[in-house]
Amino acid sequence: MAELVNVTIDGVTVAVPKGTLVVDAAKKIGNHIPVFCYHPKLKPVGMCRMCLVDIGTPKIDPATKQVVRDENGNPVIQFMPKLTTACTTPVSEGMVVRTATEQVRAAREDILEFLLTSHPLDCPICDKGGECPLQNLTLAHGPGVSRFDYDAKFHNEKHVPLGELIFLDRERCIQCSRCIRFQDEIADDHVLQFHDRGRGMEIITFSDPPFDSYFGGNTTDICPVGALTTADFRFKARPWELQSAQSICTHCAVGCNITLNTRLETRHGGFEIKRVMPRQNEWVNEIWICDKGRYVHHFTRSEDRLHLPLIRREGRLVESTWQQALQLVADTLRAADGEIVLMVGDRIPNEDAYLLGQLGRAIGARVSVSPNVPSHYADVARAFGVGKDADFKRLGRGDLVLAVNADVEEQAPVWFLRLRQAVVDRGAQLIIAHHRSTKLHRYASAIHRFEVGRAPEWVQQQAETLAQALQAARHALIVFGDEHLDGPRARALAQLLANLLLQSGHAGRSDSGLLPLYPHANTQGVCDVLSPHTALPPAARVVWAVGVGDPQELPPAGFYIIQEVLHTALVEQADVVLPSLTFAEREGTFTSGDRRVQRFYRALPAPGEAKPDWWIAQEVARRLGFEWRYNSPAEIFEALAKDVPAYAELSYAALSRVVEQWPPIGREDLYYGGTAYDNTGGIGARYAAEAETRALPPYDVTIPEPTIAGLKRGPRMLYRDGELIRRSALLRARMVSLQQVA
Amino acid sequence: MATFYGSRNKTMERHVLLRDIDVPNIREIDVYLANDGYAAWKKALTTMKPDDVISVVKDSGLRGRGGAGFPAGVKWSFIPKDVFPKYVVVNGDESEAGTFKDHQLIDCNPHQVIEGTLLACYAVQANTAYIYLRGEFYEPAQTLQKAIDEAYARGLIGKNVLGSGFDVDVYIHLGAGAYICGEETALLSSLEGQLGQPRLRPPFPAQQGLYAKPTVVNNVETLANVPPIVLHGAQWYRQFGTEKSPGTKIFCVSGCVNRPGNYELPLGQYTIRELIEMAGGALQGRAVKGVLPAGSSAPILPASALDTKLDYESLQAAGSILGSASFVILDESVDIVWAARKMVRFFKHESCGKCTPCREGTHWALQLYNKLLSGYGTLDDVNMIGEVAAQMSGKCFCLLGEFATSPMLSTLKHFRAEYEAFVRAHSGGLRNGYDDELIREHVIDPAGNLIAGAVGQKRH
Amino acid sequence: MITEYLRKVPVGLATVFKTLFRRPVTIQYPEEQKPMSARFRGRHHLKRYEDGLERCIGCALCAAACPADAIYVEAAENTNEERYSPGERYAKVYEINMLRCIFCGYCEDACPTNAIVLEPIDFPVGYTRESLIYTKSMLLEPPPPGVPGTPQQTPPGKYDRAILPFPPIDESV
Repeated sequence: MAELVNVTIDGVTVAVPKGTLVVDAAKKIGNHIPVFCYHPKLKPVGMCRMCLVDIGTPKIDPATKQVVRDENGNPVIQFMPKLTTACTTPVSEGMVVRTATEQVRAAREDILEFLLTSHPLDCPICDKGGECPLQNLTLAHGPGVSRFDYDAKFHNEKHVPLGELIFLDRERCIQCSRCIRFQDEIADDHVLQFHDRGRGMEIITFSDPPFDSYFGGNTTDICPVGALTTADFRFKARPWELQSAQSICTHCAVGCNITLNTRLETRHGGFEIKRVMPRQNEWVNEIWICDKGRYVHHFTRSEDRLHLPLIRREGRLVESTWQQALQLVADTLRAADGEIVLMVGDRIPNEDAYLLGQLGRAIGARVSVSPNVPSHYADVARAFGVGKDADFKRLGRGDLVLAVNADVEEQAPVWFLRLRQAVVDRGAQLIIAHHRSTKLHRYASAIHRFEVGRAPEWVQQQAETLAQALQAARHALIVFGDEHLDGPRARALAQLLANLLLQSGHAGRSDSGLLPLYPHANTQGVCDVLSPHTALPPAARVVWAVGVGDPQELPPAGFYIIQEVLHTALVEQADVVLPSLTFAEREGTFTSGDRRVQRFYRALPAPGEAKPDWWIAQEVARRLGFEWRYNSPAEIFEALAKDVPAYAELSYAALSRVVEQWPPIGREDLYYGGTAYDNTGGIGARYAAEAETRALPPYDVTIPEPTIAGLKRGPRMLYRDGELIRRSALLRARMVSLQQVA
Repeated sequence: MATFYGSRNKTMERHVLLRDIDVPNIREIDVYLANDGYAAWKKALTTMKPDDVISVVKDSGLRGRGGAGFPAGVKWSFIPKDVFPKYVVVNGDESEAGTFKDHQLIDCNPHQVIEGTLLACYAVQANTAYIYLRGEFYEPAQTLQKAIDEAYARGLIGKNVLGSGFDVDVYIHLGAGAYICGEETALLSSLEGQLGQPRLRPPFPAQQGLYAKPTVVNNVETLANVPPIVLHGAQWYRQFGTEKSPGTKIFCVSGCVNRPGNYELPLGQYTIRELIEMAGGALQGRAVKGVLPAGSSAPILPASALDTKLDYESLQAAGSILGSASFVILDESVDIVWAARKMVRFFKHESCGKCTPCREGTHWALQLYNKLLSGYGTLDDVNMIGEVAAQMSGKCFCLLGEFATSPMLSTLKHFRAEYEAFVRAHSGGLRNGYDDELIREHVIDPAGNLIAGAVGQKRH
Repeated sequence: MITEYLRKVPVGLATVFKTLFRRPVTIQYPEEQKPMSARFRGRHHLKRYEDGLERCIGCALCAAACPADAIYVEAAENTNEERYSPGERYAKVYEINMLRCIFCGYCEDACPTNAIVLEPIDFPVGYTRESLIYTKSMLLEPPPPGVPGTPQQTPPGKYDRAILPFPPIDESV
């Protein structure tokens, strides 16, 4: 615990850690000092001058070096001759801050008047209007009338595409440099800078392609005016019209907390997602999300959504009713005599996967996860994953991060931010082993290379040196991926790394452990609740595939039941198609790559007659004679927690727990932390790794020979060109072409 | 290569700084060496410890000549002893309006500047010195580079100088022409290749300056004072000037005088009136209306203050500052509103844009002055100028913003009547004698219409 | 009892005959309409500038101000090739549910460009609920004579401000 110092702000004395800035100390006791350029996640610069306050320190006698005291024994306070910026001044013992004086009030009014002289008054068409720090602070502290001649206003370009997805309005910009500093200090993509000086100073991008960053969307959240807007949300809704639902991002294993903003629309028969905003969770994503999570939501209202059950009649899929489709499914399953393969995708929530697993086992089906590799090592991660209370914030000097075969920025972008902070800002040591260069390589203290797909062999060879390096570290976090590895070899890699932890004594310690880069949001969760078979059977009578996307292969079968959200290529093979719901249309829980179980809530109405997977499973089960009566995912989770040992201590109540987080975000003081949302839906909970609860023996590892299929298996890059972001037709139409930007 | 065209005015028996007046061709290294050149450098290297150099400079009471007047020796003593590398940065940005003293020093007496720089390096044990010159000093930079090359050739700079074991290198860096880069932290940013904007203090340059290492930043003239101090001792230096402002100082006199140029004088011995007389008096015998003692950044002094002594304390008492001692003399033919607008325009142009009050305030103030000068101003606008200036003062990030208010506040304080007379004389009219200038500066178009954005629309 | 009844019949009929020859107070609304006061605030009109561009910039402040939640706006972005209103934003969808509207005029007050105005003409009537949801094409007034409607092709830079400054007040009038 850092040393505490006492500071008195407007008569209220508070003890805060040494080095705290005055503006933060004031915030802690509810004294809201207005700021524009200061952001609690960025380094202070003191540019906007909005936070000017009157600061005094106890007078020190130069001769005795003692505090001078008045006749009552109170220290004499010496105030600075001028007002001081609260955002750049750290507190000191006995400091006195006055924020309610006439001088401070006038200073705030003056600075706002200055800012407004060059700011266009186009709030009615500004996307920030309604959640704008400048608007709010003007209302609170600004002058009632402007003495500036409206006709003499400074005019500048209002439509500057900075990149494919971000627009800049140079007139609205108040030169706070938050966006520049975010890109430099947090994302480490140096793509923005000031150009020119004085009143002509403006934001430019100098990267090629312009504004080349995976995290650019966050700059629009922290922009204190409407200068930066996203192409996706531009003019789509006014902030006060939006309804919000708390959710979890589904694009990678990080499990970023998000808020879905929806609004009534004339299209799509009702509501649609207007934008995705980050939601504060200091244990997961702080207040940032990557651009994939922010922009890729249009699939929820895609043209390809399935609205009704389909049944194949005379070679064609025709629309049908649930009654008919479910009866057909039940009859087929009953007749299949246990020769059934139930494949469950790793993007569906825990509750649904659990119920499907129960059903599958009850009817004697072979339950497997869609044919992807992570199911091979999910149990290793469950045993040796990061500890229950592990916190990225605690990683720092003396700790070691080992990244093996992992391209963190491409596969789990927000974890890249967290690891970068731990290494660059707090001094953790980073060792990287990979066959190619990744962005994380910039911060590595040691870089090792191995042949493509030879990660397990490399770890085996280097085991001694690595164990020594680990031993020297206080905590050891091992990030690994399964690039160019098939399932058994990926499992060998995970086991070798787990053995390293055992050898160095870090196994079962809270801030140490494995951090696997899974491809999807709920890979760990589906593997946890299903205990799936890892290998596919050669053939079956019936294959029931639930949310598996477009896998390379399905086992040959006489009858295919496809349960999907979108009309994929797989649907074309189906004999029965059951339409299900996306994460935005139902509630449930996901288990992220670091085993944090988190709740998400319903944001949209279901399209057509599509139903959640658990409902479909239950209806089929009842037609097969099982007396299941679950009314909601909450009830299923209760059963799940009783059944799956790892989840025993979890419940919806525990997952919905909300704790006070610092900095305060998304409350009435939007100017402080930006427009990210406050977390009222729960911060989730991580279940304990097995190594934490009992001593585990080391794995006996033999590395299998590499296979061609394994070597061909490239990394799942979230931002691969032509994929994912550009795949959405709705978003593509809104993006700016790079030619236009240049 | 004689590029300094200003008049050379002999004001002392033997000059301490402008020695090119006493000794012709002192820019040649042989001439310089023959006249005590590098004697202080040799003395320091052979007989003095670094701390001895600091203490002799401290004892001499030498104050920074860049403007702030902070004692140089004290500044050097702040440099931590145990952090390496350290840097000495010489501030030759000289961008204050009406200042041309460093120009003459670099151009006509470069070796003394180099020697001072070397002594500073030795005093704080820095092995690298950067001389930051303003971008327009292209020819002086060549002169200085030639002098540096000569000194290298004689073994006065480089590795193991004069067998003392001390290594030192001197580099010249040309800025890109920004006034703000005369501010020490902005200068350091510019030197690092970043945007020329001031940095937060603390940390001060003495703790974390160039490349986050301890750095001494001194003005060219300050360092030119060091060799004679080290050579002759602190007591010798204190024979010039006053108790609190010892030594000699170069006064740059320009504006409405007959003989503008650099005048080296002991501090506190003469008055402004005597300085103007030395410079041949005001043009055509006109009366002096006002004096800007430190270019555009100092508050104007009216004619009533002409008997102020020329030192830091007296000028401060008179309501202005000595600053870089660039005296701009305005005679009675000068229109104060026009002059104030010129200075405000300068600050608007040079504001770096980092902080709100300076960026927006100078912009707003210039628009108000444009309105006045184009003949559409009202008395309300005159009051508004004062209010904008007051609104800026005390809130800016660095001193540029504070300086920008001084032409407005001080002219309004001393010459308000002139503003009011100007408004009355020119109300509602173009063709007031400033048309060409206003057209050139895009305030009005050639047809005489106001250009939107440069000034508010005509409202009567 | 019956006599009492018969006695009352002529009394009642007297009223019938009395009113039979009086001018009726009802009219065949909506075919026939009563004159409205010039200051009556009836149904909404979306106004245009003299050059034919729509005043409405799609800011949805009217919808925010509406106490009956009768207004629905969807905005989109103008381009110089296809310009509906000055500035960057225009109303792509603008609907008022006349059945919900309470004619309070808050939308007029909220409008930053004086685009929406309640006028006495053309009071909304209809036989179905759908017909009383007025769309943008029904609300928008026609362009002034001789001026093209919207969208227009406009030169770059001419209409880059959504909210034009009000013309200077001529105090001599």
